[in-house]
Amino acid sequence: MTSQHIIDPPEDGHFRNGGNNQPSPTTLSIDLTINGETHSLDIEPRVTLLDALRERLALTGTKKGCDQGQCGACTVHVDGERVLACLTLAAQVEGRSITTIEGLADADGTLHAVQAAFLEQDAFQCGYCTPGQIMSAVACIREGHAGSDEDIREYMAGNLCRCGAYPHIVAAVRQAARELRS
Amino acid sequence: MTVHEMKHAASDSARLEAVGGRLSRVDGPAKITGAAHYAFEQRLEGLTHAVLVGATIAAGKVTAIDTRAAETAPGVLAVLTPDTIMALKTASDWFGTPPPDRPYCPLAREVTFSGQHVAAVVAETFEQAVAAAALVKVWYDETPAIVDLSDGNAGDGIAIDAMTKEWGDAEAAFAEAPVRVCAAYNTPREFQVAMEPHGLIARWQGDQLTIWEPSQWLDGMARTYAEWFGIPFENVRLVSPYIGGGFGSKALALAHSAVAAAAARMLGRPVKLVLTRPQNFTSYGGRAATRQTVAIGADRQGKIQSIVHRGVNETAVDGMWVEPLGSVTSIMYATPNFSSKQNVVRVNTVVPGAKRAPGENPSAFGIECAIDELAYELGLDPLEIRLINYAERDPHAKKAWSTRQLREAFATGAEAFGWAKRSREPRSMRDGHQLVGWGVAAGTYPVRRAYGEAMVKLLSDGSAEVESSSIDMGQGTYTILAQTAAETLGVPVEKVSVKLGDSRLARAGVTGGSRLAGVMTGAVYKAAGQALDELIGLALSDPRSPFHGLQANTLVVKDGRIASPRGDGPELSVAELMGMLGCEKIEAKGDTVPASFTREQRYNNYTTIAMALPHTEGDYSRHSWCAHFVEVRVDEDFGTVRVSRVVSALDSGRLYNPKLAESQWKGGIIMGIGQALLEEGIVDRRHGRIVNGNLADYMLPTNADIPDIQTISVGIPDPHSSALGGKGVGELGIVGVAPAIANAVFHATGKRVRDLPITLEKLI
Repeated sequence: MTSQHIIDPPEDGHFRNGGNNQPSPTTLSIDLTINGETHSLDIEPRVTLLDALRERLALTGTKKGCDQGQCGACTVHVDGERVLACLTLAAQVEGRSITTIEGLADADGTLHAVQAAFLEQDAFQCGYCTPGQIMSAVACIREGHAGSDEDIREYMAGNLCRCGAYPHIVAAVRQAARELRS
Repeated sequence: MTVHEMKHAASDSARLEAVGGRLSRVDGPAKITGAAHYAFEQRLEGLTHAVLVGATIAAGKVTAIDTRAAETAPGVLAVLTPDTIMALKTASDWFGTPPPDRPYCPLAREVTFSGQHVAAVVAETFEQAVAAAALVKVWYDETPAIVDLSDGNAGDGIAIDAMTKEWGDAEAAFAEAPVRVCAAYNTPREFQVAMEPHGLIARWQGDQLTIWEPSQWLDGMARTYAEWFGIPFENVRLVSPYIGGGFGSKALALAHSAVAAAAARMLGRPVKLVLTRPQNFTSYGGRAATRQTVAIGADRQGKIQSIVHRGVNETAVDGMWVEPLGSVTSIMYATPNFSSKQNVVRVNTVVPGAKRAPGENPSAFGIECAIDELAYELGLDPLEIRLINYAERDPHAKKAWSTRQLREAFATGAEAFGWAKRSREPRSMRDGHQLVGWGVAAGTYPVRRAYGEAMVKLLSDGSAEVESSSIDMGQGTYTILAQTAAETLGVPVEKVSVKLGDSRLARAGVTGGSRLAGVMTGAVYKAAGQALDELIGLALSDPRSPFHGLQANTLVVKDGRIASPRGDGPELSVAELMGMLGCEKIEAKGDTVPASFTREQRYNNYTTIAMALPHTEGDYSRHSWCAHFVEVRVDEDFGTVRVSRVVSALDSGRLYNPKLAESQWKGGIIMGIGQALLEEGIVDRRHGRIVNGNLADYMLPTNADIPDIQTISVGIPDPHSSALGGKGVGELGIVGVAPAIANAVFHATGKRVRDLPITLEKLI
């Protein structure tokens, strides 16, 4: 499935970079397909998808809230399913289709129904959890978990929002689900 | 000066873009597409990454730090310890108090709380810095710590005389009162938990320091950096275009900020330092744990004769935080006799800080539970007792309220909630195995006022710009300032761009205490008025203008078009007029600062909180008010509490944008639900360490915990509180939520829980 090669660690267990710019044994060369575009990266195996997006590819729409899989701010889609980018190594998702918040709207800038509903319902305040909420909401609807407010609350519960936009998030997901069905 | 007509007709508030309109967030499109770059998301050439090492003891000395393994780890550029980090100067506090002349070291030799920064590693990549930080070895000489307020060695603490409020003879009147209640109410250590962690990027260019950091107070933090490094204030630029939540936590430059800025200076390269989520629980203070005793004496009709209140909050060993626990106690109800006193107790914690409605929030928990207890003691409805003791004026300041729509809030909220259908007896309402309880509580927050300034520019294409170093952390500053400028200038809102979050722009004081909207709408209103005056003045006096020679003493600008008020002259767009005038732009910096202010006073106005105006200044006492009505469902077997319905009626005066104000109110209410049922910093008594410092173990409300919430505005414009009639919004919503829930839990179960959070083991 992927072209990555597995590297055994050095005998002392510590990877070290060489003093030159040549790719060291600790570096993987991988291609990531993000929002339909291929990005080539030379990264250490321990780099998470989240840090690859934010620190290497300037795709900072995906947010780091906790870096330990507890808040949902880093939610992206891998092959259409929601995953936490902070708990995913970049090397794990080579060859798979990654969608981030930057790739959700149409190429002409037309907002996805979920994005438009978030704006209309004021489903965010500070905006920091919002990309993760929106990516979760798109998947939540696609999974068929947006049939009732109760379902929406439950299946959106993995995305924390400290500003407390929850009732408006439910309203936005309900609205977008209805629009996407029709 | 030219007089021009302002459009303040009531019908205007129906217009989306006018002040009072329900315009969607103008910063919304950037936030929903990922285009909004938050402070430490800037891309910089040569950026390095710093990671902090925290103390594993709560009290003692660092005796040695072995950095050798870390220094030789791949990619490491520097390992900083108290011995190797550059010396800084101590900065003044937020009142601007001149600092002691001694060095400041943001890495600790003397440890006073667990997690305190003792070392930092800077490396080429984040991963390298994380790995190397784990290789730093620290040795300590540990001494016993006072872990929290209940520690046997904590003592009674220090009396804070400035918090004492007394009138009449409260203790004697309480002793003589025929009906008495007295109980203790506790709130735990709570945290702000903004979703965006604290962090920054620091870059030096010569003696110029640029800091990209989420900030509720650019000018105040710039002052701190300038003082730390002994450079002029003007040499520091703070940039904070979007802030991923603050809730009181992001107003100060902190130790980790100093580490990053010092590392950048020492390395000659920009440094990014972002606190890990656990470090966000130890690098700055949340709400201090509090304890209160509230004693109320009343006559048999329920009229309060006396309130005796004693409070304690925890503070740090090396820092002072006073959480004003008597703030609501002293103003909510009319009483002829009153006494409130407060102590603080030093424990081994990071110095506590501001969290949404500091003071008012725990204060309301005490008094609003106590009044409910008094109602049951008397056999009165909890709403009725509040009306019997309604304070017609500020009982403490002895002044008239500027506006107080609390009676309207009680009436409107009760009607919408259906309070009249409530049966009074505890455990008298149920739905299957769920005990249903209805509770009410009131809340309040003072109107904090300050002087402000803003730059408004009218450009040759008919568009306008507003500039301010104030910020938007989700309250809606971008949007309401666009609305204010659009309405005042008479241009469409989509032609107004608002620039915030850069300390090079017009100055601004702290965004905290719900003051920003009132301060900044006033400043933008004034600056935009000046810009419009100038445009109209030019239009009437410049020979190139088609209005020149028109027998008019003013003109009207509406929808971006300018005309005579009588409609007897030409009508053209602002852009066309400016073209005819050969005018590139009109700039107006407007402020509400007294003309007598010196340069230093102006500086202090923006970089300290010492110049803020007291809410009881002059003839009035100014506050926002609210009443929360809550339904809870308690599982009879398991003791689990769910909030199933909330109706809140709130008086924030005139709302600049009801859509955004409602969101903020609901956010406060939801944070209050978390406070009531979930949130508690748990301290390991052996190590004085917060053991649940992460987002799974420090439980926040999730979407599944929150029911539909109805908010109703009962405010009226308050001309004594702000230029445009608004009062505070952001802090108000949380005040009174926890007592309303505790009162509802009592109604459901017959059990009074006076220690937050109300968890199931306290109910079964």
